[in-house]
Amino acid sequence: MYKLTNINKRFIILLVMLLVFPLTTLQASSHADEEEGLNVKELIFHHLLDSYEWELPCTEAKLPLPIIVRDYQGEWHIFSSARLAHGAEYEGFTITHEGDNSGKVVGIDADGNEYRPLDFSITKNVSEIMLATVIILTLLLSLARWYKKNPNKAPRKLFGGVELLIEMVYVEVIKPILGADAKRFAPYLLTIFFFIFTINLIGMVTVFPGGANLSGNIAVTLVLALLTFLVVNIFGTKHYWKDLFWPEVPMFMKFPLPIMPVIEVFGALTKPVALMIRLFANMMGGHMITLVLISLIFIFAALGQAVQTGTAVFSILFALFMGVLHLLICLIQAYVFTMLSTIFIGLAQIHGHKQEHKEKK
Amino acid sequence: MELFKPELGLSFWLLILFALLFIVAAKYVWPIILKSVDDRADLIDKGVGYAQEAQKQLASATENAQKLLNDAHRQQVEILQEAAQMKTRIIEEARSAASVEAKKVMDAAAQSIEQSRRAAEEQFRAEVSGFALQIAEKLVRKELSDDKKQKEIIDEMLKQIEKQN
Repeated sequence: MYKLTNINKRFIILLVMLLVFPLTTLQASSHADEEEGLNVKELIFHHLLDSYEWELPCTEAKLPLPIIVRDYQGEWHIFSSARLAHGAEYEGFTITHEGDNSGKVVGIDADGNEYRPLDFSITKNVSEIMLATVIILTLLLSLARWYKKNPNKAPRKLFGGVELLIEMVYVEVIKPILGADAKRFAPYLLTIFFFIFTINLIGMVTVFPGGANLSGNIAVTLVLALLTFLVVNIFGTKHYWKDLFWPEVPMFMKFPLPIMPVIEVFGALTKPVALMIRLFANMMGGHMITLVLISLIFIFAALGQAVQTGTAVFSILFALFMGVLHLLICLIQAYVFTMLSTIFIGLAQIHGHKQEHKEKK
Repeated sequence: MELFKPELGLSFWLLILFALLFIVAAKYVWPIILKSVDDRADLIDKGVGYAQEAQKQLASATENAQKLLNDAHRQQVEILQEAAQMKTRIIEEARSAASVEAKKVMDAAAQSIEQSRRAAEEQFRAEVSGFALQIAEKLVRKELSDDKKQKEIIDEMLKQIEKQN
């Protein structure tokens, strides 16, 4: 008889979680639209975008989150998102479903015009970031305490896994690329690796308290890429700046028309953009494909029971495959982001002797 | 597209929370963990170095022991050979010494035999000459009883003496 080992059991539980929960959440959110048919586009975007409340599994209820907005008169308003549920208006604010600001809190000024207030609400994504921060800090602080208590010992189980990741990033990437500077930049690079990896994984947990498409949100990847851009340029050496604006090329290429400097500066600016787009597209794509595959079942429901069943089997199997693949991508994208950040930082750490070496050539 | 529009509020909160995460982690987590990882790696490297050194030393020690054993064996063989040589030499010497001694004893014996033989011979000669004189006396006495013959003998003797002179 085939005996399930512990790992097999865990794996199957994971697969079931990957599959069943998207179905339940989707079903829950599609109930409302049942009368007028399923709006797949809205449904998918609803799940990809941020929201002011958090869906709870297996129920219609939603967890309200605090809304923090500043109106056109400069006054701050803090209230629960439950007050704006079902299109209600509160203190001159409401959640619109039309126009450019669809799904966002808008205010109505004295003239009756709609405007977008300064919105610092603790949305689903923000609370997800808080959760991720708490998880990472708990894990890392307890790991640090473990290391203090057990010097020169190798951790096992969960801590062993975390150490494996640290070694993977620190020993295999940061140290070889940065060399002597590794110690200086390792805290930033490791923090960003663990942050991205954790939010990627939380995004894979489709039920509360997870499921936010965090790393597939352009604001998140923008900030992360911007941070790397800042680290690269703030800690860039003198020679880096010289190479940027006065590269060692024949004079006609930089004066009177600064062709090479323009190209170099453009290159420096495209680096964070590449970081931002890569992470965003990969993670959003992973979320989207699962949503589309599961939505297929509901779309084909119109064609009858048999077609729907067939589609369900196909969709679930394919979504399972994509889900497992996406789990791998979660790690790979965090790794790639960290590796590219390391390389960009390394490229900005040009020291004098290297320059001389180049000149000799 | 809303999907490509970065949200200010989310960026703001992310920045704040990431800064918090980074500051705490950079202060209380990474220095400790990286130091531990590096220290442990050093320790392991050192341990491996020690082990290799120990193995090398063990190998050389074994070799030394083997060499010593071989030396001892060779010395043993040499000593045994020497002992055997010495034995034969001593036996040889003893034998030659014994033969010299024996020869001396034999020579001495032969000498004394010779001496006693001579003494015996002399004594025998003296006795024999005594007997001969007695016999000759008796014979002469008997011969000289007849004159004629006496004259003849005396003549003959005289002639002989003459011839001799």
